[in-house]
Amino acid sequence: MANEYLFNILGITLILAILALVITLWTKMEKIKELQLITDNLKRSLNEMDEQAKLIVRTDMELNKTQEELDKKITGLYTLQRLSRALNTTLEENSIFKMVDGSTLQDLGFERAAAFLWNHNSREFVLRLSLGYQNEQSAVITQTVNKDKDWYNAVIQRLRTVSSLSLDQDKALKEKITRLFLADPFIIVPILPKEGDKGFFIVGTQSPEVTITEGDEELIAILTNQLGQALENARLFEDTWRAQQDLENKVEERTQALSLALDEVGRISKRKTDFISAVSHELRTPLTSIKGYASILLTGKLGDIPPEARLRLEKINRHSDELTHLVNDLLDISRIQSGKVAMKQEPVNLHTAVAAVFDLLAVQLKERQIDTGLEIGQDAAFVYADANQLSRVFINLIGNALKFTPEKGKISVRTHLAGDMIRIDVCDTGCGISEDAKEAVFEEFYRVDNAINQQVKGTGLGLSLVKNIVEAHGGKIWAESKPGNGATFSFTLAKPG
Amino acid sequence: MPVTYATLMTTEKTQAKIGLGVSTDAEAIRAARDATRDALFKLAGCKPGLALVFSAFESGAANALKAIAALLEDTPIIGCNSAAILTNKGISTSGAAVMLFAFPEGVYCNIAAARDIDQNLTHSSGGELGDKLLYGFHNIPRDFSLFFSDTSLATGSMLLEGLQDKLGSSFPLAGACAAQELHLPKTYVYYNQEAIWNACAGVLWGGKLSYGFGSQHGWKPLGKPRTVTSATGNIVHEIDATPAVEVYKDYFAVDTQHLKKDLRRISIFYPIGIHLAGEQEYLLRNLLSVLEDGSLVFQGSVPQASQIRLMIGTKESCLEATRLAAADAKRGLYSSILKPRGTQGVLIFDSISRYLLLGRQAHREIELLREEFGPDVPLAGFYSQGEQAPLHAFGYHGKTYFLNQTITAVAIGM
Repeated sequence: MANEYLFNILGITLILAILALVITLWTKMEKIKELQLITDNLKRSLNEMDEQAKLIVRTDMELNKTQEELDKKITGLYTLQRLSRALNTTLEENSIFKMVDGSTLQDLGFERAAAFLWNHNSREFVLRLSLGYQNEQSAVITQTVNKDKDWYNAVIQRLRTVSSLSLDQDKALKEKITRLFLADPFIIVPILPKEGDKGFFIVGTQSPEVTITEGDEELIAILTNQLGQALENARLFEDTWRAQQDLENKVEERTQALSLALDEVGRISKRKTDFISAVSHELRTPLTSIKGYASILLTGKLGDIPPEARLRLEKINRHSDELTHLVNDLLDISRIQSGKVAMKQEPVNLHTAVAAVFDLLAVQLKERQIDTGLEIGQDAAFVYADANQLSRVFINLIGNALKFTPEKGKISVRTHLAGDMIRIDVCDTGCGISEDAKEAVFEEFYRVDNAINQQVKGTGLGLSLVKNIVEAHGGKIWAESKPGNGATFSFTLAKPG
Repeated sequence: MPVTYATLMTTEKTQAKIGLGVSTDAEAIRAARDATRDALFKLAGCKPGLALVFSAFESGAANALKAIAALLEDTPIIGCNSAAILTNKGISTSGAAVMLFAFPEGVYCNIAAARDIDQNLTHSSGGELGDKLLYGFHNIPRDFSLFFSDTSLATGSMLLEGLQDKLGSSFPLAGACAAQELHLPKTYVYYNQEAIWNACAGVLWGGKLSYGFGSQHGWKPLGKPRTVTSATGNIVHEIDATPAVEVYKDYFAVDTQHLKKDLRRISIFYPIGIHLAGEQEYLLRNLLSVLEDGSLVFQGSVPQASQIRLMIGTKESCLEATRLAAADAKRGLYSSILKPRGTQGVLIFDSISRYLLLGRQAHREIELLREEFGPDVPLAGFYSQGEQAPLHAFGYHGKTYFLNQTITAVAIGM
């Protein structure tokens, strides 16, 4: 009984335990199902997130590519701007291609470049720029380009850009250029200056990651256009420079010839001066004797002289005086020109100097009723000069004026300040001198061809002597006149102190 | 393997100073001379105890080093030639930066190089460099080390591990591999008057020198986590039990051929990131190539069973990382127990990938560094292809890892 009771209790307990286990299992199963659901959801979310990540990555990659392109273009434009500025200041053909260096090329996104210009004399392409190639490679490239020069010339003639992009259809040609220039992608653009030899520019890279676009072609075309313009400018400048050089050479040659001629003139002039000086010296002694003997004969100490003989002797005496005067003038000119006459410069009162000359010539002035005038300007009363030589200047100039001024005319002397010099004008109311004689009157032995000169004797040395004296003082002399309206001889001298 | 004798410098009693000279001249010898003279001038008569030379010479590196050595006499020189140099003046793809260190009493340094690195035994080359750096340092406490390598190595992971075997796995190390990009035909490592290819060179400092590291990349994870189910070193065979290449093919909706064509861009913009517990950022690995069997070769090792994600970077996140790296380096320097007077110099190893990603904004990194450290603090470095710097998280005990795509700043104070 007790056993039956125990079995019943155990049975019930077992049933209850089983029931509890079933319930627990059921609950756990539910929990597992729930967790499984959550895990599935998580997995799905993770996979969805991963799918979104893929989209993000792909979009990001595209954005990065675009950004790279943009960066490349901006860098390219900056480089182009920098290069353009440099090219604009380059006027030497050889320096133009040196402006494109490794760093510029790198900024443009390429690692190799070459530029060729056609030489019309040798009828072949000449390599002007080589970047990213060894010397041997450059030599091979030049040789091969010249073998295919017709094709490259055709590219230039057609004014078109050729690139690995545009040659996609012509695989063989693309491969040929790639092999030669070790570049894929590459861009070839003609260099087209308006004047002179044309050529082409090629850039490229071997990097498989670099792709080129039409934008790259345009950028390189702009750069090449800049190169062409720079070449054109350089050639124009060279032509202008050459023309200027020719002109300068010609001027130099002419100057040299003139300088030689001037030296020759100087030498001849010196010989002439020396000759005149020597001859004058030699003439002086016999002249003195002739005049001396003629004077002795005229005194009658050596016996009476018949009137005809006296007349002749008086002529000899007068002509001897004239000849002596001429010889003295010549000797003075010669001495002044050779610098043998020392000017004893001191302050000279112009009023006194001119008045003394008017006094000297008072008889002739009075005889011909010629009026005189002297106007001394403010601060122009004194000059710094050799008093004796200045007196000779006034004697010659006033004497000359007297010679050409008709009766009842006027001779006046005016002085005034002209900068740091004193200007003195000697004016007359004579017949005047013609335009072409204004400078010639200062030449030795020149005499103006007019009626008065034909009547009045003169040596033609007076004004030449005056000019030499004025110039020896550091002054200048010139004449101003209109025929029939008198003449003014002006000269300048230094003012004292 | 030829023996390279290490040069132990016990510095004379002198003032602590760092002088930086920079020249962007494209002619190597002229640039080297100008930069060295400039750096010597900045040292104001202090004797240099070490010269770090970073350059971007296209040619003439060996002669340039001779010109530098002629001006510096017996000063030890290390450095490298890379695609571009970074200085206070900006980024330059030509010229040289010469950073001269005049050490106070109690600071020691030793330079060394390991040559002819066997591609299969890079670990032992790292060990060799470690042995040479330790030469003469028996009773001197060693502080930290810098080392540089050229682009002959696909990955610097093994070299780093070899060096850590000798210097200690948690020893503070920083360095970079020179980048052969842009215009540069070849990279070199500089060791005294030699420009060496297929080599690495380093410097080990000891004594009263303070430093701080900062290294960040700024890339963020994208997409679902995946598991590396089969990998050997830097080659990943399978991800989630499928050929590794399928992940990239799937993400970019391209076939293998197109993937290979766009590899460089994908490598820069979308590396994989390995999750490191406790670290702020994922450890990046650039994709180098795709093998015939569908395996992917990365720049740096990828451990099997790693949790990886595809990573994406933007210019903004990249620049923010630069700011954070600079701040970390500065914080590290000022938390030193030696309490330095200030930041006397900063070394920068900046991944070339960042230059390519930032494009026209690349100069902003220099501006951010100058803002953080001050405009007059000498700043020199180069664009790299793989950097080495310690990780931050406690669990890594300050161990240095081979990193990709980072900007690594080392702030130095004395």
